[in-house]
Amino acid sequence: MHDFLVSFGKWLEATPWGTFTRTTLWGYPFVQLTHFSGLSLWLGTNIAVDLRLLGVGRKRETAMQLSDSLFAWNWAGFAIAVLGGFPLFSANATTYLANPAFQLKLGILVPLALIWHIVVQRKTREWGKTETTPSIAKLAGLFEFVLWICVVTAAVEIPNH
Amino acid sequence: MLNFCEWLEHTALISTIAGTGWMYATFSVAHYFSLFVLVGTIVFIDLRVLGVAARSQRIATVAEQLFPWTWTALGLALFSGFVMFATDAGDYYPDRIFRIKMTVILLALVFAILVRRNISKWDQAPSTSAGAKMVALVSLLLWVGAILAGVEIAAISGLG
Repeated sequence: MHDFLVSFGKWLEATPWGTFTRTTLWGYPFVQLTHFSGLSLWLGTNIAVDLRLLGVGRKRETAMQLSDSLFAWNWAGFAIAVLGGFPLFSANATTYLANPAFQLKLGILVPLALIWHIVVQRKTREWGKTETTPSIAKLAGLFEFVLWICVVTAAVEIPNH
Repeated sequence: MLNFCEWLEHTALISTIAGTGWMYATFSVAHYFSLFVLVGTIVFIDLRVLGVAARSQRIATVAEQLFPWTWTALGLALFSGFVMFATDAGDYYPDRIFRIKMTVILLALVFAILVRRNISKWDQAPSTSAGAKMVALVSLLLWVGAILAGVEIAAISGLG
């Protein structure tokens, strides 16, 4: 498994997009821009629904209405984040794969937060019909909120390891 | 001003934050997280004004639901950003890219206020005017520009 990951990482670094991101002056910041812009849309819309489930903020829409109206751009944001994140990772793949903060982020936290997000998004159609949400919905929203903070924390820690 | 920045950077509190790994990381996490919420919510409102998001909801409904979170996130992003600036103020202050970033953010905030002030007018119009869409588009592009300037501070100036 380890050997496979190392050779996979080496292959990624040699791909045109990996090389482009690593070696050109504008490549790296451009790819970072894509990653962060996508994340803004993705996390901004995720956190909005989590807060609405928690009952924090204005109650102009129900959680269900809010979640439905954000849905398309929520996933567009995710796609843009991946579009930027993949070449970012490819540029220095072997280094990232050996980094414990990155391993924690992409190996555990992101899959967990992503699965949780999908569950919460589906459940919101049921929990979010009324102005006040049930306790279980508040707990689920809070948990997703905390999970994404953990993801950002792991990401911030990558350069320190 | 540069003297003030040098003084700020060397105050006991800021030196402690700069020199303590978990403290600086906490402000970084707060900054990234709040800027994502800030940019994500405001860009979504811009997209709604542009007519490409949440068309089944009224402009005012979307804006009134999201704007309070935008302003809260803005406050947190400004506060955490100021602390991060302070830890290396002497180098950030004269930096060209940093100054561009601050200018772009200032313009983006002017446009955010412009959007906020016109929401009820745009909401009542039978169809969104070209002028309203232009304001929303500029707002959206300014936030993307702010992120670009942010990543260029590291890429060109090597700060942060």
